[in-house]
Parts: sequence; structure tokens; C-alpha cells
Amino acid sequence: MNVTDERKGDVLILHLAGRLDSSNSPVFEKDLLNRIGTGERRLVLDFADLEYISSAGLRILLMGAKRLRPQGGQLVLCALKDPIREVLQLSGFLSILTVCATIEDGLAKAAA
Amino acid sequence: MGREIVLTLRNDLGELSRLAEAVDSFGTELGVPAQVLYHFNLAFDEFITNTVSYGYMEAGEHAIEVRVGCDGERFWAEMSDDGRPFDPFSEAPEPDLDSSVDERRIGGLGVYLVKTLMDEVSYRREGDYNRIYFAKRLAANSAGDHQSQRAT
Repeated sequence: MNVTDERKGDVLILHLAGRLDSSNSPVFEKDLLNRIGTGERRLVLDFADLEYISSAGLRILLMGAKRLRPQGGQLVLCALKDPIREVLQLSGFLSILTVCATIEDGLAKAAA
Repeated sequence: MGREIVLTLRNDLGELSRLAEAVDSFGTELGVPAQVLYHFNLAFDEFITNTVSYGYMEAGEHAIEVRVGCDGERFWAEMSDDGRPFDPFSEAPEPDLDSSVDERRIGGLGVYLVKTLMDEVSYRREGDYNRIYFAKRLAANSAGDHQSQRAT
């Protein structure tokens, strides 16, 4: 999986591309938690080019949301492909994570 | 008669992407919907991660055999490993699907997803091997053939 950074004001966008599976999830976990640890509070994860996420990837999303919440931060997911949305829905994640249809909506949500 | 492929993987998570490629190209060629292939990759991811991470008492190379097949009515897979006995369907914890972000636990989610997304799952221990089977029925015309055969 490739991760590309983009900064818009105080929002950090991470564009994820490819597959987030058990083999690369430890790297992404460390990356995401490091960014939160160094003070990022408004994060948008752009899933437009993400083809696949496993339960190991879901775990990281939950960890990120857990870390940000007490600090008043925001973790926003956007542009999910249908199979990924289905997996989040079955996992009960759509009710606890912020999910937006487009990156523009995601940015607005994160900046709010 | 159906078609099937057999892959022998090393006990290394890096093998997951090679497996996903093989499953995607095999399934796509047979007209299996992309969503079903996604569900199969989720299942492989879950079980192979379990086996590689917790299945072996000592370090060293082990083989995990994966067979994937299609018989017209169902797309199925069977995985065999020589790790310690482990039935993921009965031993995984129940997932927590309802509590708030702060209280939510994540254990058991992967197995829960597999059970939910597959039409059939089974586990058996055969000698020194764990054998995990899962399958999804395909809503293809072959299902219709089956029904008309039953009707006659």
C-alpha cells in the first residue's frame, strides 16, 4: 500500500492506495499513531484508491479514533469503495467513525 | 466437474498479496463477482494471519496449502496447515459491535466477518493438519439447472 500526504490548513490528508492487509498494517499503524502522537488532530483518510482493507486495517482505524477522541480530534474516512463500506457496516463501524462520500465533504467535516 | 487451483504458501504474511492476486485472477476468469473475491481475501487474510502468528510452536518454515475452486454452484476454498490444532470458528471471541469508540473492543471481528459473509464454513483436524473450509453459493444460472433437475 502507498500513502501520500497532503496538507490543507490544519487538516492532514492521507491518500491510501492499494491493499491494507495484515502484512503491511503494522507499518501503517505505526505511521498513523506517530502522526497523532506528534500533534495531528484533524486527519482525513482518503480511501478513493484503496482496494482492500482487512480486519487488521479496521483495527487501526478504531485505534486512531480512540486516540483522537479524548483530544477533541477528528478522524474522517472518505470515498470508500462499496466492498470496503460493506465491511465497515458489518463491523458496526459506520456508527462510530465519521465517513463521508467525497474528499471535499471529508475536509469540511475535519476542519469543522 | 469444477475447476480449482492449488497454491503452497510459506508461513509469511508477505504471501498474502501473491495469494490475493491468484484468487482474483482465477475468480475473475470464472466470472465470480469482485465482492465475493473480496470476501475470500478477507477470510484468507484472517486465517493465514492466525496461523502464521500463533500456529507454530517454534520458528522455521512451514507450508500452508490453499485450494480454491468453483463447481458452478459454489465458489469454495480449503486451507491446510500443520500448526497446532485451532478451530477459529469456535475459539475466536465474540466481537463487540455496539459499544462506543472508547469502549469498543476489536477481537474476533475478522472471524465474525467471515462467518457472516460466507454461506458455509467448517473446520476439522485431520492427523497433524488443520483444515478450514469456506464457500459462497453463486447466484448463477447453474443454480437454476439444479432446481429444474430436482423438479423432474
